[in-house]
Amino acid sequence: MSTILRATGITKNYAIGKQQIPVLRGVDLSIKAGEKVALLGTSGAGKSTLLHLLGLLDAPTSGTIEYDGREVQSLPVGERARLRHQQVGFVFQFYHLIPELTALQNVLLARMMDTSVLQYWGKRKQAKASAVEMLQHVGLGERLHHRPTELSGGERQRVAIARALIAEPKIVLADEPTGNLDSATAKEVVDLMFTIQQERQLAFLLVTHDEGLATRCDRIIRMKDGYVVDQDLTSDEQAR
Amino acid sequence: MIRAFSPFLALRYLITRRINILGVLGVAFAVWAMLVVDGVFTGFVRDIRSNVESSAPPLLLTDLPHDSSFTVFHDALFDDPDVVALAPRLRQHAMLQPIRQDQRTRAKRGSNQLDFDHTKNGFAMLIGIDPLLETKVVSMSAWLRRGSNEIARYGRDESPSKVFDEPDEERLAEMLLPDRVEWDMRRRAGMPHDPDINNHRSSLPGMLMGWRRVFNLPHIQDGDPFEVVCASFPGGDGENGALSMRTTQKPFASAGWFGSGNRMFDAVTALVPIEPLRTMLGHDIDDLTSIPLVTDVAIRPRDGITGNELIALQRRLEKKAQAKLPEGSKPCSVLTWQEQNSVYLKAVEQEHAMMTIVLMIVMLVSAFVIYATLHMMVVQKIKDIGIISAVGGSPRGIGSVFLINGTVVGVLGSLLGVAAGVMSAIWINPINDWLYANYRIELFPRETFDLQGIPCHLEPSWVIAVAIGAIVLSIIVAFIPARKAARMNPVTALAFE
Ligand SMILES: Nc1ncnc2c1ncn2[C@@H]1O[C@H](COP(=O)(O)OP(=O)(O)OP(=O)(O)O)[C@@H](O)[C@H]1O
Ligand SMILES: [Mg+2]
Repeated sequence: MSTILRATGITKNYAIGKQQIPVLRGVDLSIKAGEKVALLGTSGAGKSTLLHLLGLLDAPTSGTIEYDGREVQSLPVGERARLRHQQVGFVFQFYHLIPELTALQNVLLARMMDTSVLQYWGKRKQAKASAVEMLQHVGLGERLHHRPTELSGGERQRVAIARALIAEPKIVLADEPTGNLDSATAKEVVDLMFTIQQERQLAFLLVTHDEGLATRCDRIIRMKDGYVVDQDLTSDEQAR
Repeated sequence: MIRAFSPFLALRYLITRRINILGVLGVAFAVWAMLVVDGVFTGFVRDIRSNVESSAPPLLLTDLPHDSSFTVFHDALFDDPDVVALAPRLRQHAMLQPIRQDQRTRAKRGSNQLDFDHTKNGFAMLIGIDPLLETKVVSMSAWLRRGSNEIARYGRDESPSKVFDEPDEERLAEMLLPDRVEWDMRRRAGMPHDPDINNHRSSLPGMLMGWRRVFNLPHIQDGDPFEVVCASFPGGDGENGALSMRTTQKPFASAGWFGSGNRMFDAVTALVPIEPLRTMLGHDIDDLTSIPLVTDVAIRPRDGITGNELIALQRRLEKKAQAKLPEGSKPCSVLTWQEQNSVYLKAVEQEHAMMTIVLMIVMLVSAFVIYATLHMMVVQKIKDIGIISAVGGSPRGIGSVFLINGTVVGVLGSLLGVAAGVMSAIWINPINDWLYANYRIELFPRETFDLQGIPCHLEPSWVIAVAIGAIVLSIIVAFIPARKAARMNPVTALAFE
């Protein structure tokens, strides 16, 4: 299968005052289309930082990021935003929904990033229909018009998943998506994510502290102090 | 290109964030104040100007040397094709006192504060006019009608004077009152009179007084006599080098009231026929050495003369008049009605300008309100900015959210302000009447300026300029927080608590 995302020699320093604090010290990794990868590591290892860099939310201090073989880390911000919209879906631990918007509007918003007002107006019915469908798919057909505050944690995360998927990205970057949920709900959410991943053949990079969850992925990457210390196939994958 | 999410989120924020109401109201208030205050001032200035215009001849030749003669200028000026009518004027300070024993009011001898109200102290600016010519330059019938209307406003009935209706030109030149009226008056005042009314011929020249004097005099009937005292310096030194001064005294008969619309003018001025005034100043028409004395010449240019032609005419007439003056005379001038009252008009215009500056400041304050509300919103929405970035929003699109928000606030505020402003302009007088009736509050000192109602005139171009100005200002001001939002680092924004 083709590699859709490749990072080479990624470093990231944060400046605290005059001091440069290295957070990532040279990370290499690649993800193939349709692959599920778990990213494990101690707290402060730099997992979230790496995820943000891979999702083009921030630029690395050095190193290259390629999407479909094209180097993208130094593109102008507008271009990076467009690419992020087309290629990446983010799911966060704390859901990050916009409180003023209903579940449906939060999902719809992700359809409006790359179209002009007029274009969007022309296809607003379709957009709405697909957002409704997406929410029904994550089991929230009855909750379309609820605000985030009127939803449970699990429901909020389902909305976030729907939002991450509505623009049909190739890769989903999830940062501890179940870190804030009880284990039963967490399992439901993960099952849902993996079902959709299977359906759409999405690539998945999943940051987690849950070893059990990690083993359900194809591959585990372990990080420590800004390095990748171990990349191995999970037993599932080896068995195959 | 405006991304679809920018207006979508902007409108959502606008609806859900109450603080935007503050911005809208701020702009609306500023626009409203701008329109109403300026509308009142514009109306006020227009009223004042039209009052002043009706009180002054279209052009006035003035700054003439002492002892100027009307005949010297008449032909030279009348020669000009753009001049339609000329009228001589003779200005002279005087005191006037009612003669009738029971009506005599003494001029105040002094009070504990300076009293500049000339209607009380008997001071008058006499203007000698030639009734036959003056009516061709200035609309005297309008002055008489206005005088009567103004007095009627204060609840007193005075029908307009008929002094200019006299068919006999010789009698009109002296502004004589009908024989019967004068005979009646003489009898009342105990002045010498023929026992037979039919033998009486009027002889006292008439006098029209500015209507404002009416309230400081006892009840004056048509024909009531006034003693008019003039002091003049006939020129040349008297005994021991002292300045010689001549005072002359002459009775005139009240012929009624006029109103020009100019407050000061209507308080001070009395119009008298020019010949008796010349006589008082030592230039009796029957005296061989006398001249037809003038201090000014009122001039009416042809109708439809353009602004530039008028200016050319002024300079031309000045030259022609100057040529008739003795060598070395100071330059005379021909002034338009605006120039004749430039000090007063400038003062009013300046007040208007000051007010506009104050209003600009109100506008700036309201712009600051928008800035503050938007800035606050950006700070409250930092997390949202990170979220929008994460789902692929470009910095430009994120900035647009706040820019659009500010613009919509500006547009709504402008519309609301214009609506309120226009309504206020329409209802200002009923509102003022109601406030006065119920709370004794006046929105505008109508009395001070002699206006019947609060003048309010909204110039459509001004309304549009204010509305657009407010919107543009809102956009400019919204730009700063919008830029702040656009430049925010998405990762920092996401981590913001
Ligand atoms: N904006 C920043 N400025 C300075 N240092 C930062 C910044 N963001 C993160 N760091 C530092 O970078 C290191 C890695 O942080 P990161 O959030 O990537 O860790 P993580 O692996 O996701 O940890 P966790 O499992 O707790 O989420 C931490 O030591 C953190 O203090
Ligand atoms: Mg983390």
